[in-house]
Amino acid sequence: MEIFVQVLASGLTLGAMYAVSTIGLALVYGALNMLNMAQGALLAFGGYVCFYVMQQLGLPAPVGVLAAMVVGAALGLTIYLLVARPMLASPAFETQIFIATIGIGSVLQSVILQLFGPQPKAQPMTLPGGVSLGGVVVPWQNILILAVAAAMLAGVAWLLGRTRAGLAIRATAQSREAAQLMGIRIGRVYAQVLALSGALAALSGIMVSSLSGLLPTMGADPMLKAFVICVVAGLGNVPGAAIAALLLGILEAVIQYIFGVQYAFAILLALVIGVLIWRPYGLFGKRQVVRL
Amino acid sequence: MTARRRDILLSLGFAALLALVPLVFSTRYIISQITVFFIWGLVVTQWNLVLGVAGIFSLAQMALFAIGAYGTAMLAYYVGLPLLAAMPVAALVTVAASLLIGFACLRLKGAYVALLTLAIAQVIYLIVVNDTACFTNPPSGCLPLFGGVRGFSRFGDLGFRELLGSKFYIGHYYVGLALLLAAQVFCIVLIRGPLSLAFRALRDNPGYAMSRGVGKLRYQLWVFGLSAFFTGLAGAFYAANFGVVGPIVFSVSMLLFLLAMIVVGGMGTVWGPLLGAALLMAADEGLREVGTFREIGLGLVLAVFVILLPRGIAGLARKTEAGGPASRAGTGRKQVADSSDAI
Amino acid sequence: MSLLEIQGLEAGYGAQAVLRDLSLEIVEGSFAALVGPNGHGKSTALRTVSGLVRARAGLIRLAGERIDRLRPDQIVAAGIVHVPQGDMLFPEMTVLENLRLGAYLPQAATHAANRLEEVFALLPKLAERKHQVACTLSGGERRMVGIGRGLMAGGRILMLDEPSLGLAPIVIDQIYDIVQRLAASGRTILVVEENAMRIAEMADRMHLMDNGRIAWSGPGSEFLSRPEILSAYLGG
Repeated sequence: MEIFVQVLASGLTLGAMYAVSTIGLALVYGALNMLNMAQGALLAFGGYVCFYVMQQLGLPAPVGVLAAMVVGAALGLTIYLLVARPMLASPAFETQIFIATIGIGSVLQSVILQLFGPQPKAQPMTLPGGVSLGGVVVPWQNILILAVAAAMLAGVAWLLGRTRAGLAIRATAQSREAAQLMGIRIGRVYAQVLALSGALAALSGIMVSSLSGLLPTMGADPMLKAFVICVVAGLGNVPGAAIAALLLGILEAVIQYIFGVQYAFAILLALVIGVLIWRPYGLFGKRQVVRL
Repeated sequence: MTARRRDILLSLGFAALLALVPLVFSTRYIISQITVFFIWGLVVTQWNLVLGVAGIFSLAQMALFAIGAYGTAMLAYYVGLPLLAAMPVAALVTVAASLLIGFACLRLKGAYVALLTLAIAQVIYLIVVNDTACFTNPPSGCLPLFGGVRGFSRFGDLGFRELLGSKFYIGHYYVGLALLLAAQVFCIVLIRGPLSLAFRALRDNPGYAMSRGVGKLRYQLWVFGLSAFFTGLAGAFYAANFGVVGPIVFSVSMLLFLLAMIVVGGMGTVWGPLLGAALLMAADEGLREVGTFREIGLGLVLAVFVILLPRGIAGLARKTEAGGPASRAGTGRKQVADSSDAI
Repeated sequence: MSLLEIQGLEAGYGAQAVLRDLSLEIVEGSFAALVGPNGHGKSTALRTVSGLVRARAGLIRLAGERIDRLRPDQIVAAGIVHVPQGDMLFPEMTVLENLRLGAYLPQAATHAANRLEEVFALLPKLAERKHQVACTLSGGERRMVGIGRGLMAGGRILMLDEPSLGLAPIVIDQIYDIVQRLAASGRTILVVEENAMRIAEMADRMHLMDNGRIAWSGPGSEFLSRPEILSAYLGG
């Protein structure tokens, strides 16, 4: 029973962290057909900005989180303006944006390295202690992460389902040209989606680093996992991505427990490949649409 | 003269020129740097086939290279195979691995292939690095099955030390040159041949192409597998040349460096990758002082080139095909993006 | 009064030029048809007007104002409603959501409730299937949603790209019945149609496209009485 609670707790936490950044990726892919390979760096950037604001500027946690998300959104917007927009009309857009964002991600990571150095740092946004559940002490930090993630996901769901901007995003993702013919200004949709995705990445980065510390390269693995989750869910499927993230988080925790941390990713990946052989468009995917 | 013949003649010409270099400059540094150029040239020419011709979004190229390198080292170290035998065997192992990866990934849409190959490469890296259990225990210390963090060393060499003594690197130089020549001719034949037309047809009108019997998966697997041979061979030669193989071959910055070579040179072109390799290695040399900004510079080069000069430098010389702003509606008229479109 | 004016329009895809020196005029309140063999640019013409394809030369004027350099969303706001070929519905959204999106722009949103009623009155089948997801509809139903969606936008000119495409004859009759009613109510309509003879019976003015430009323009009645016009361009 204790093990069950332990594994479930860490699994849900992992899943929640992944879900936040995965949703951003799914949105960007759904709306723009764009694989944002700078996502990992955006994650790291968010963690570091929060660190800077809290540690160097001495400001409280909510300010740190907000600052990180604002910076993340700004970076996302910049990526849209400088990188995506110039290439939108190109027939090889997907390949080009993929490569370009790899480059941007590398630049961002190097900037972090320059500014903060290669030594690992602790994320100050942590809650000490824990609560006893089913005989196991579940750290408050995990619960906080779950709560924040849940709130964020609910927020995104509300945004997509109940606002005019969200409607425009969904329409653009389902049919770009039809959206234009409805009078939707898709340039603005793209900018919003990238900004939102940047903010979500930053938040995810704060959460990840609060558990495993800050390193300039910290974003690479979570980004890869987020992408893998997206693929399993079916690229572009937003609610599917959230569900898949939770499932995979739990699965990862289970595998880690049984086989040890080293092989967790390998086994996870083998499972993912198996799923994709069975369902080439992902578990819930059909085409690239953003569904809600 | 057909383009193919011209390119092959050019290759022979360049090879002849390069063959003369050691007679003029015999400093070890220059020769071994050019040998490194040969190695990366081998990799990028093959990766270019995969990315630019077959339109496969694969990021597993360095992993395949690593399999060739590790395969050679491990065959030599554990089985005692002489390097001259281990190299081709390792290359074949690489082909087998690539076919496995291909079967797993190639039936999926382009974006999925990219992510999966990246993930697979990462997993291979993790398996190598995270395995701390000692497989053997040589005097130098605990050695995990795949070499662990330290990797393999002292597994034999190509025999040039015996033949040429302190000038052994010249022997390596010529081996590298020969391999690169073979690889480049292979690329020329592929790019100037019917296979690349088949891929172009698949890109432009997949329905029609497939109805005429051009099977995408089959062709992609062929290119993936064949290019893996030379990539594995490159890795094998890397092992033979440096005498040491470690996880550094998995480094992301290496991946980026090589990708930049292809992008700067011109993806999908015959001479682009080598041009890019030469340029970037020269730039890397020249900017060695600037050290810390290498990563930033590389990332910027990659992004800037893709945005401003997507056809690369070699592409400038090409007749513009379907360029220009065709429509404002994002990725062309196709709603469901087919990312087998290469640049 | 000339509502839509196209002069010397040139456009295409990549290196392929499709529209070459296209000029035509649509009078307000008229029912115009654009006919001609496939591949000669009819759809491209509509897509260039609505901004999905960028014009390389020439100009397009709506009620005297140039619209050819505007973004597609601006062109919609100016009053061009384009019901595209193949419907282009939002596949995961319901009929109602699709229709509502037609009135996305603020100027249309204020009239959305009224227009929705009108659309349901004109197309009762849609009212029955309000909450059905678009990708599960039949061909004819999808076509109706596309037209209904276009009507929700209001607009000054309604452009329909091949409304009969892929439909059974009996459904085509229904669709054209609706189009005629719209025309009769005073709307300016431009239809791209492959079946020239059929549309000639309804249209005020026909424009025959040949290789990216207008080869012949005239009243529908004249077109009907001179079949040699069409056969000359079909090479028949």
